Amino acid sequence: MASLRVRVVSPDRIVFEGEAASVVAPAWDGQVGILPGHAPMLALIGSGELSVDRPGGGSDTFHVAGGVLKVERNAVTLLTEYAGTEPPAEIPASARVFVEDLED
Amino acid sequence: MAGSREVKRRIKSVENTKQITRTMELVATSKLKRATDRVHAARPYSEALHEIVSGLYSPELSEKYPILRRPEETKRAAILLLTANRGLCGGFNSNLIKEARNLMDDLRRRGIETELHIAGKKGVAYFRFRGEPILTSRIDVSDHPTVQDAESIVGPIRDRFENGDVDAVYLVSSKFKSVMSTPPHTRDLLPIQADGGASSAAVYILTPSGDLILERILPAYIRNAVYTALVENAAAEQGARRSAMKSATDNAGDVLEHLTRTYNRARQAQITQEIAEIVGGSAALE
Repeated sequence: MASLRVRVVSPDRIVFEGEAASVVAPAWDGQVGILPGHAPMLALIGSGELSVDRPGGGSDTFHVAGGVLKVERNAVTLLTEYAGTEPPAEIPASARVFVEDLED
Repeated sequence: MAGSREVKRRIKSVENTKQITRTMELVATSKLKRATDRVHAARPYSEALHEIVSGLYSPELSEKYPILRRPEETKRAAILLLTANRGLCGGFNSNLIKEARNLMDDLRRRGIETELHIAGKKGVAYFRFRGEPILTSRIDVSDHPTVQDAESIVGPIRDRFENGDVDAVYLVSSKFKSVMSTPPHTRDLLPIQADGGASSAAVYILTPSGDLILERILPAYIRNAVYTALVENAAAEQGARRSAMKSATDNAGDVLEHLTRTYNRARQAQITQEIAEIVGGSAALE
């Protein structure tokens, strides 16, 4: 089965890069799941947990805050203001603009 | 002999200078390594973000969002200049200041008002000395610039553009082509320069919508341009300092060689003279 190439990128470094069987990301309006073969997509990311399931089982979890997710030909790129294994002590101001007022 | 003592003292002083410049060269080399690593680490984000923005951008959106506005005529422009906080790095700071001055003169010739925003002690000191008003000045950005630094520098300028206080924003910093080549460079930050290859947006599922995604990521896009410039500038500064200190060290070596030779010649002359005096004295006794 095809797998996903996943990259989690924050402005100053690549936080994660690797293969995955599936990805669950915190989109602006709720969790979004991505499996291999997903249609091309661009989505705003809110803040929350991103989980990356390894092809051989097991998963990695990251905390992300604000950004944008791009899916294209089994490549998943998540650009985010914050990404780490720990939740951010404080959500950066630059990440807040991604989620506020989106309900209107 | 008075002459040789004087030379000896100068040799000591040049040796000390050489030791200092050599140390600074080594420090700059190790900082340069880390700074270039940061330049490379920042690239994946920039590239991916640029791709997304160019894919979503279309000129029609400029009516809708202030950050995308395209003023028909430019009345007032902001110049954001990034320099180093410290000197002893050759022409690094003065090249940047010259670039900013040229840009300022050029804009004023075209009848455009200018305003200055500066990050870096050297740039602030220069323009303050020249009596140019500086709107925002920052001297607290370290050798290791952060995303927050970039945000706090560019945030107010971005707001000024959105409110219509300025119609264009230029960024003056060093482009980090390689360690050896870091020319000063002016970049148009706002209005947004994008190719608008809107074709790719058509095939994507866009959530919530193309416009909204673009509006939300544009501040990050602008911020990232400044962050990249800060990081590149920091690396360019260390590169410039390393080569300046290397030539100072080499130069001190040359001066030392010359002085040592002068000293030895004086010493030899003195010995020769002493022998001649002894030989002369004993010849007179016979």
